[in-house]
Amino acid sequence: MTAHKSSLFSRLARRVAVVLALGAATLITAAWFYARAAADEAYDRLLLGAAFQMAESLVVADDRLSFVLPPSAFELLGLAQRDRIFYRVVDPSGETLTGYGDISPSADLSRSRAAPVFANMAYRGVEVRTVTTARAVTSQSGTGWAYVIVAQTTEARQALASELTTRAVILVAAMSLLALIGSALAIRLSLRPVDQLGDILRQRDPQDLTPLAATVPRELLPFVTSINHFINRLDERVRLLQRYIADSAHQIRTPLTALTAQVSLINEDTLSPDDRRHLERVRNRTAELARFTNQLLNHAMVIHRFDSTQLAPVSLNDVARKAFRATVPITIDPDMVVSFEASEEELTVLGDLLSLREAIANVIDNALRHGATSRLEVRATRFGDLGRIEVCDDGPGIPPEDWANVTKRFYSSRTEKGSSGLGFAIASEVAFELGGQIGFRGKTAGLPFCVYIDLPLVKEDKG
Amino acid sequence: MLLPRLVMICLLAMAPRSAGAIEGDKELFPASGTETGKLVVHAATDLEAMRPLVLDFQSQYPGLAVEFVDYVTNDLFREAIDACAGRVQGGDILLSSSVDQLVRLANDGCAQPHNSRDTVNAPDWANWRDEIFGFTFEPIVFVYDRRVVPAKDVPRSHEELADLLRSKPDDYRGRIGTYDIEASGVGYLLAFNDSRQAPTSYGRLIESLSRTQTVIRCCNNEVLGEIAAGNVRLAYNVLGSYAYAASRTNSDLGIVLPRDYTLVLSRGAMIPSTAPNPVLGKLLLDYLLSPRGRAVSREKSFFFSENGPLPAEVDGPTSLMESGIGRPIRIGPALLAAQDEIQRRTFIEDWKRLIEGR
Amino acid sequence: MRILLVEDTHDVGEAICRRFQQTGHTVDWETDGSAASDILAYTEYDLVILDVMLPGLDGFSILRKLRQSKSGVPVLVLTARSEIDDRVGALDLGADDYLMKPFDFRELEARARVLLRRRSGGEATNVIACGDISLDRTNRSVMVGKREVQLKRREMTLLEILASRPGKVFSKEELLDQLFGFDEAAGANAIELYIGRLRKKLEGAKARIVTLRGVGYQLVSDDGP
Repeated sequence: MTAHKSSLFSRLARRVAVVLALGAATLITAAWFYARAAADEAYDRLLLGAAFQMAESLVVADDRLSFVLPPSAFELLGLAQRDRIFYRVVDPSGETLTGYGDISPSADLSRSRAAPVFANMAYRGVEVRTVTTARAVTSQSGTGWAYVIVAQTTEARQALASELTTRAVILVAAMSLLALIGSALAIRLSLRPVDQLGDILRQRDPQDLTPLAATVPRELLPFVTSINHFINRLDERVRLLQRYIADSAHQIRTPLTALTAQVSLINEDTLSPDDRRHLERVRNRTAELARFTNQLLNHAMVIHRFDSTQLAPVSLNDVARKAFRATVPITIDPDMVVSFEASEEELTVLGDLLSLREAIANVIDNALRHGATSRLEVRATRFGDLGRIEVCDDGPGIPPEDWANVTKRFYSSRTEKGSSGLGFAIASEVAFELGGQIGFRGKTAGLPFCVYIDLPLVKEDKG
Repeated sequence: MLLPRLVMICLLAMAPRSAGAIEGDKELFPASGTETGKLVVHAATDLEAMRPLVLDFQSQYPGLAVEFVDYVTNDLFREAIDACAGRVQGGDILLSSSVDQLVRLANDGCAQPHNSRDTVNAPDWANWRDEIFGFTFEPIVFVYDRRVVPAKDVPRSHEELADLLRSKPDDYRGRIGTYDIEASGVGYLLAFNDSRQAPTSYGRLIESLSRTQTVIRCCNNEVLGEIAAGNVRLAYNVLGSYAYAASRTNSDLGIVLPRDYTLVLSRGAMIPSTAPNPVLGKLLLDYLLSPRGRAVSREKSFFFSENGPLPAEVDGPTSLMESGIGRPIRIGPALLAAQDEIQRRTFIEDWKRLIEGR
Repeated sequence: MRILLVEDTHDVGEAICRRFQQTGHTVDWETDGSAASDILAYTEYDLVILDVMLPGLDGFSILRKLRQSKSGVPVLVLTARSEIDDRVGALDLGADDYLMKPFDFRELEARARVLLRRRSGGEATNVIACGDISLDRTNRSVMVGKREVQLKRREMTLLEILASRPGKVFSKEELLDQLFGFDEAAGANAIELYIGRLRKKLEGAKARIVTLRGVGYQLVSDDGP
C-alpha cells in the first residue's frame, strides 16, 4: 500500500502560507520598530521644543537666576493630550530651582552641554521619556551651566506607534491575504496538468496498453515517460506471452493431432481383442489428453486476454448461439435431444466475445461429456438485471457439496470419475472477470440440473 | 443667612493653622433609606450650591450617606497631597474650582481614571486623561451694584473696566473688590489666565486696580457680600454662578459677561488614587456628568451651561461659545505651568507688589 | 468428390487422406502453402481442407486469395493455434467451418460431409414451416417455437421430406429411397428409428409426426390444415 499523503495543493499552499506568514511577521515587526522610531521622533521634537522654551526662560535678574515657566511649553507638550509632564530646572550650583526634584535621568547632566540628551526611564512607576538640555548662564559669580530636564509619559507615543503598527498590520494582512489567494489560484492553475494527467490515467481502460498521448509540462515528463515505458513493457510482455501460448499451442497440438491421426489409421480388424482393447484405451487417453490440452491453452489464453482486451457490448443471444453450434459436435449421439433457445429480447452485456464463448462452450462441453444422457438444453434468458445462460441436462447433475469446488482447477469429485478439468474454472473465471458468476441449480422433480452463467446487463441508456 | 458662616470659614482658612491637621467644614447627608455606604466628598465648592445635587444624587441611591467636607481650594490641595502620600485618609471624590491643582494632582499620579457612559458627556476641554472632569460651566463675570454704578459706567470689557477706573478713580477708589489670589486658588488661576489671555490689558487693569486701592477678599461670596453691604461697587473676576445665586436674592446686583473675552471655568472632579471607596466616588462623578445631574446643576446650583441660554438679567454676549468670547480654561497639562512653584511665587509676588505695594 | 488437403504435418495429412479415400473421395494433398494457392487458381475442388500454419503461404492468405478470386468452394480450416481469433479470422475471411486441432476424425468427416452436401444440394433460400416447426434449408437449422433444435443430417432430411408437404402420407419405401438412395442398404426399421428420434426432438412442437399403421407417416400441424 502506498501511504496517502496530503495533496500537492495543500502542501504547496501550506508552505506558501508559512512563507507569507513569516514575511508578514517580519514586515510587522519592522513596521513596529519603524512606528516606534517615528513616534519617538515626532514626540521627541515636542519634548525638545518644550525643553528649549523652558531653557530660554532661564534669565539672570538681580544676579539671581530666575525662571518663568512658559505655559506655551506645556501647551506644546499638551499636544500629547493624555501624557503627564514632569520637569526639573537645576541651577549651576546643582540645586533644583523648581519642578520635580527627584527626577534624574542621568547622574551626569553635563553630557547635555554638547547636545540635548534623550533617555527612557521609569519615574513614579511609569515609563517616561526625558530630555535634558543645558544652558550656560552668566552671573557675577561667574558662568555656570543650568539644566532643564523635561519628562513626559509615553502614552501618546505608544498610541501613535500602535496606531501606525495597526495600519501596517492591516496593510500587510491584506497584502498577505491577496498573495495567498493569488498563490492558491496560481498553484491550482500550475497543478492543472497533474490533475489532467490523473484524469487521463483514471479514465483509461486498464486493458489499454497504448502509450499515453498527453502533453504535459517538463516536470511531469519523467512520469509520463516512465508510465509509457512501463506500459510498453507490459504490452510487450503480454504480447510475448500470448505468442508464447500460441506457439506452445501449435507445438503441442501438432504432434497430438499427428498422434490421433496415426492411431485412427490402425487397422482394428487385424488386431487381437486384447490389442483392440488397448487401442481403445489409447484412443480415449489421447482424446482426454487433447481435451485437457485444449482447456489448458484456452484457459491461459482467456485469462491473458483480460490483460489486454478492451470489453465491448456483446449480444448474449449471439454468443450463446455461436458457442452452442461450435460445441455440439455433428457426430453427437443421434438419440441426444439438443436444443438452444435464445431470449426474445436483446440481452447485451459488456464482455469479450471470444472469452465469453469459450466459457459457455466449456459449460456445454462439460454437460455433453459428463451430464446429458438424452437431453441438453441451452437457453439465454433475462433474470432481473442479469443476463443468464442456462445449460441444462437430464443427467444426474453435480451434487451440491461439489458446487463450490468444481469451479476450481482440476478438481476431482469423489462421485465422478476423473476430473472436470478446467471447463468450469474457465467459465467461472470469465464470469468473474465480467462481473458475473457461475451458478448451479439442483435437479428437482420435473426440472433438470442446470449450470448457469449470470452476467450484468448493459443499462439501456441509448436515450 | 449663610454669609456670616462663609466669613467665618474664610477667617478660619486664613488663620494660622495647627500643625498637620487641615480642618474643613463638614456636613453629613444621612441616607434616606438603610445606610449601605458612605460617600466622602472633599470639595472646594460652596455647599449650598452643591446641596441640590447631593440630595438629588441621594434620591437615586437612597442607601448612601454623603459626608461633605468643604475646604478652600488651597487647603483641599494640601489635604489631597497628604492623602495621595498616604499620610491621611482622603475623600472618595474631590471637587474643586481650582482645576490647576487637580491637574497637578493627576500629573503626580494621585488620580485614578474613570470611564463610563456618562464620562463621555464631558467636553474635550473638560476632560484630562479620564481622570479629571469638568462638571460645571461657569463664566467669570463682573458684578456691580446697580444702586451706585450708573448704567453708562457699567464696563462691558476688561479694557472698559480699566478705562473706567482711570477716568473716575475717585468714584471707585476702595470700591472695587476682587480675590486675594494668594489665599484663593481660583483667584490665582483666574488672574494667571487673565495675564495670558490679554497680557497688555491685564497689565493696565492691574495698574488701575492698584491705583483704586482694590478691596481684596478671600472668596467669591465675601466679595459679593461686600457689594451687598454697599462697601464695594464693582467686583472683578467673580464666578458667574455665585454671582447669579446672589442676584436672585439681591436684585441690586448686576452681572456682566465681558465682551472682549469671558473666562469659563469648569469645576473639576477627580477620584483620588487613594480613595477609600472609589466606586462611590465614581457614582457621584457619573451623576454630575449625567444629563440629569447637569439639569439639576443648571437649574438649582450653577445656572449656566455650555449649550443653554444665559440666565435672564445677565448682561452678556448672546452666544458665548460660538462667538469665541467664551474662553474655557482647558483642563490639561498647560495648567501645570500655573502650578509651578517659582511661577506661582513670582506671579503672586508681582501681583501683591502691584495691588498692595502702593 | 474432389478434395484438396493442405497440411504440412505428414502424420496428419496421411491420416486425413486415408480416411477420405476410404469413403471414395479423391484427395489431392499439398504440404506447401504457395504451391496449394497456385493449384487452387486453376483447379476446381468440391472441398478444401486447409491448415493455417504452413510453409510458403499461410492458410489465411490462401483463403483470402481464394475468396478474392470469387471462388465459392467450401473451405474447412484446421488450426492448431490457441488464438481463438484464428477461428474468427477464418470465418471472417470466408471459411465455411473450422476445427481446432487435435480433432476427432469422425467429426472432421462429418463436417466435411455437411459441406459437401451443402454444395451439391444447392437449394437456395427457403424455409419450410409446419405448425411452429420451421426448417431453414440454407442454414440447415430447425426451430421448434423459439427453440433451436439440433438435428442430425438424416433427421434433417427426413423432416425436410415430411415438411415439404405437410399432411401427405409418405410410405416407408418412399422415405427409404429419399433418405438413403439406392446405393446404401438400409432396412425398413431404420426409418422407424429415425422417425422415433425425430419425434423425440420435436417434442413440444405444434406439429406431430403421425404414424398410419401399414401405410406410412405424415406431418400434421396442430393448427389445422
